[in-house]
Amino acid sequence: MSAVLELRGVSAAYGPFRSLFEVSLTVGAGEAVALLGSNGAGKTTTARVASGLLAPSSGTVWVDGADLSGAPAWRYARAGVAHAPEGRSVFATLSVEDNLRLSFRQSKGRAGVGAALDRAFELFPVLAKRRHQLAGTLSGGEQRMLSMARVMVDAPKLLVADELSLGLAPIVVDQVYDSLQRLREAGTALLIVEQHVPHALALCDRVVLLGHGAVAWHGSASEAPTAIPDKVFHQA
Amino acid sequence: MLLGASAGSDLLRALVQGTPAGTVYALLALGLVLTYKTSGVFNLALGAQAYVSAALYFQARVSWGWPIIPALLVSVFVLAPALGFVLERLVFRHLRSASAVAKLVVTIGLAVALPAIFDLALGFHSIAGQTPVGIIPGGATVFYNPFGVYALSRNELMAVGVAASAMAGLAVLFRYTTVGLHMRAVVESPRMTELNGIRSDRVSSFSWALSSLFAGMAGVLIAPRFNTLAAPDFFNLVVIAIAAAAIGMLVSLPRTFAGGLGLGLLIAVFQTFLPRWSDSLPWLATVRENLTPAMPFVVLFAVLVLWPAIRRSRAASDPLAGVEPPPPAPAATTRSRGLTVATRVFAVVFFTVTGLVVFFRADASWMFLVTQAVILSLIFLSITVITGLAGEISLCQGTFAAIGAFASFQLVTHLGMSVLLAALVGAVIAAVVGAVLSLPVLRLGGIWLSIATLAFAYFFDSVMVKLSWVGGGKQALAEGTRLPRPLLGPFNMNDNRTFLGLSIILLLIVAFAVVRIREGTVGQTLRALRGSELGAQSIGISPARARITAFAISAFIAGIGGALLAIQQQNVNYSSNFSPFASLFWLVLVVSLGSRTVEGAMQAGAAFGLFDAVLLKGAVIGWLLRSPARIPSVFPLSGTWRFVLFGLGALQFARHPEGLVENGKRGATEAVDRWLAARRERSPVVERTTEPETAA
Amino acid sequence: MSATADEPFLQAKGVAKSFAGIMAVHHVDIAVAAGERVGLIGPNGAGKTTLFNCLLGVVPVDRGVVQLAGEDVTRLPIHLRARRGLGRTFQRIELFAEATVREHLLIAERTRRGDGALWKDLLGRGRPKADEIERCDHILGLLGLAELADAPSEHLSLGQGRLLEVGRALMTEPRLLLLDEPSSGLDHDETVDLGRTLRDAQIDRGFGVLLVEHDVEFVSDFTDRCLVLDAGRLIAEGPTGEVLASDAVREAYLGTMGTVA
Repeated sequence: MSAVLELRGVSAAYGPFRSLFEVSLTVGAGEAVALLGSNGAGKTTTARVASGLLAPSSGTVWVDGADLSGAPAWRYARAGVAHAPEGRSVFATLSVEDNLRLSFRQSKGRAGVGAALDRAFELFPVLAKRRHQLAGTLSGGEQRMLSMARVMVDAPKLLVADELSLGLAPIVVDQVYDSLQRLREAGTALLIVEQHVPHALALCDRVVLLGHGAVAWHGSASEAPTAIPDKVFHQA
Repeated sequence: MLLGASAGSDLLRALVQGTPAGTVYALLALGLVLTYKTSGVFNLALGAQAYVSAALYFQARVSWGWPIIPALLVSVFVLAPALGFVLERLVFRHLRSASAVAKLVVTIGLAVALPAIFDLALGFHSIAGQTPVGIIPGGATVFYNPFGVYALSRNELMAVGVAASAMAGLAVLFRYTTVGLHMRAVVESPRMTELNGIRSDRVSSFSWALSSLFAGMAGVLIAPRFNTLAAPDFFNLVVIAIAAAAIGMLVSLPRTFAGGLGLGLLIAVFQTFLPRWSDSLPWLATVRENLTPAMPFVVLFAVLVLWPAIRRSRAASDPLAGVEPPPPAPAATTRSRGLTVATRVFAVVFFTVTGLVVFFRADASWMFLVTQAVILSLIFLSITVITGLAGEISLCQGTFAAIGAFASFQLVTHLGMSVLLAALVGAVIAAVVGAVLSLPVLRLGGIWLSIATLAFAYFFDSVMVKLSWVGGGKQALAEGTRLPRPLLGPFNMNDNRTFLGLSIILLLIVAFAVVRIREGTVGQTLRALRGSELGAQSIGISPARARITAFAISAFIAGIGGALLAIQQQNVNYSSNFSPFASLFWLVLVVSLGSRTVEGAMQAGAAFGLFDAVLLKGAVIGWLLRSPARIPSVFPLSGTWRFVLFGLGALQFARHPEGLVENGKRGATEAVDRWLAARRERSPVVERTTEPETAA
Repeated sequence: MSATADEPFLQAKGVAKSFAGIMAVHHVDIAVAAGERVGLIGPNGAGKTTLFNCLLGVVPVDRGVVQLAGEDVTRLPIHLRARRGLGRTFQRIELFAEATVREHLLIAERTRRGDGALWKDLLGRGRPKADEIERCDHILGLLGLAELADAPSEHLSLGQGRLLEVGRALMTEPRLLLLDEPSSGLDHDETVDLGRTLRDAQIDRGFGVLLVEHDVEFVSDFTDRCLVLDAGRLIAEGPTGEVLASDAVREAYLGTMGTVA
């Protein structure tokens, strides 16, 4: 299986503040990997390195066989990596349509924008109704829909999703996971940072557990429920 | 009466009259907001960019005799965007992670350097009274009177038309084009834009080019309003634009536009009605002529002080703001003991030799320059305190110096106080003003504090100086703001040599005091605050109290230096010594040579006083003979090179806040250390450790 | 519930704070006695940081009262709370750039004494005195930083930087030290070392600790009592071992992973 994403011995830091220590992980084509761990373990940092938002201080990042270490985020995006960041992931001051247009103009070209917009509104009819509304005025769930709509139409090679379910109502979380499942079926590989472990385990093939900025455990999703609590709670 | 029958039509007239200026302010303000929104740079060099376009247009039309269209194309549509593009590529792209204050200093350096570079490159000289030409034939001679209340010149109409269409164009660009969409996205979050595969750095370059185009256009349009083309006037324009932009909270383009237009109208309305109100309200008479030009600065200051929410307006909106790394820690400024000793020995030897030579050999003109250098070194120590120690950028040091000078003048003239005592009291008054000024602006912090000091400097410049109890009023205009040299026992300071001696002694006392403050509690407290405000608060340090102290000390030093400078020149000479533009240049000079150390201030003083004379010796005589009537701009153009050199020198502030000289010396000592270490390795002797010590 | 005999030093009653309409902290009561070691844990977004900031005065509370040694400090700024004995460290270290390790402690000591004045500086009495240096060096020794006393703080590792923050806070003689995620950015061994040093210092100086931490192991090693925050509310409180073992806490803290097994 060829790797869509490969981190080789990546260390990363925000200024003097080191948060990753030689993390290596691989996401194969079409594979779904869950990135677990407590707060501050380095999950979000790993996600940011994986999509080029943060350059590794050492180690290399490979996307689809090309070394993109230190390249700007737009090159990752053009290589097929989509990133749904934690928290607000849409442009609050742009309309719903402009949010989508921004992405489709790049991925589909001038001619493809119209069709892509139609497809997005077909997938998420609620967005069509709010097409000219500023994205910042949408509810949290609708904002999440908007960022999912973008990703589903673009069908990237890899989606890096950071805490997608945080702060959302359970029903919306289920919708988000439905979308992720459909993305998987369409062939997009997933790297998912998630607090809500059962959801992540149900979706993913493999689990990488981070602790103190390093890989503490990794293995298949089926082994995780027995292996991980011991790892985290071995003192308690 | 406040309201007469004609009040309605007068109001309309004022509104018509204020529109041309208002639209041009709005244009410049939009340029300011564009770069601030897309790259976080608060570009004080925008006025310089406007000046460059206006001057090239003037040069092409008047000196080279070009027709309007090619002159306009080259100066506004080619030069201006190219300049913006180059600035982004060469300078600001590399400062992405620098602090906002460091970026501000860089733009101040550019504001000083750009006009000078242009003047040198094209051999441009502004000639007093040579009014810049407009962009339409008969611009100043053909008038239209659309509402029957006020006749607009063709130039003014053109300004309104061009500015309005430029802004309409911007609106269309933003709303309907792809690049406009990209710009709106970058404004909210450059990083999130990149996640969409868009090169946000290119969008930034484009914004800079566009911003610069707006500045160039505004420069060419507004130039005919001045009777001489001079860079400082264009810097004033930026301050007005900042006021307009502040009204728009620095983010909203429509509100910025409204702010610019509103300011233009407000000024015109005041111009029309203030004289009338002051007939019935006598207390208004004193500020009547002065308040109108000061409106933008009053508005700016009021907005900053009463509306501190603006400082949070940008950072709050970017969800990925946390991705940017924190500003890199500046190079450690702990010096090795060897470097400290070497510096001190060198300084003592150098000053002794120079002092002896000057004392016994120099003629009157050199004596004058050296004395001036000594006094400016003293003034620059005030920047060492506020910028080097407290880490704040104050743009009103010239004003503090002027307060010291004017206060001495008033005390000597009206109370017959002895000159030196008056200088001391003047410095105390400056300190009080500094402390009081810092009270309302303390909450601002960062660039807003600098902008508030800039607004204060301009307010003082346009209002306070003209009040009789400050600048002496009509009497001073007739007789000059005279200050005698002091008599101190057997020493008659009318002798330049004795006065130089006094200046050196005062400089040494102040320098000694600054070193003591830096090593003492106050200095350590300020250093802690500069290092980490949160950390300092967590151990019980009160930021407000520490900063008020810093402002007061700094204003005191500037005040005493200002008084001394006035005593030396036996006249306050406000416009040639203490104007807001002078404050700017002082800051640039000290920052580029070294704001952290006492010797940095002294080098800056020497550079200020002697650079011209050393570079162009013939200028010395002109300097001594100058009078405000003969040289209208703040500094003689013959010294243009120092603006270029020190302006560009300030660009390194973002990376080396300790200054060029200090940085160079450190590099040299490190090389020597390495060489010594290599030698020691070859012949192992007793191991020696060097104890680090704080910079002297 | 482990009630302490001492009068609580820090007491917060009914603290509530919302941002843009979202309740971050919802009517929380906590009390920490001087000398006590208390942990504060909870999942991401539970409101730990907000509560912390409310206690310290970094953000104003919407409702509720914060008291230090019985005195109402709800409206006091950060530095005045610090002077009343509330010390802290930072998750992202906040050291004074361009100052040496010892200088960090000296300035804290000088601030605590509060006897610095401009005229003293001018007369040359602003330099550190022998007894101040001695006190600093004692603390540095306690934290194992003695050899680094003259090093610029930029040269420290993150773990050493954390310890320096602790040392700086200790110079103010705090009665309670608030530690904000001290293990973040450290690897496992560094965390264990930090915990050991902190514990020694705590026993030596007798200050209380309120520890916000995501590392469960660290919390269970270091604290006697533990508070659990979830969605802005206190959901559990008690001896650390019991609290961490309870199902409700496992569920809140690790999602439902604990129950999946």
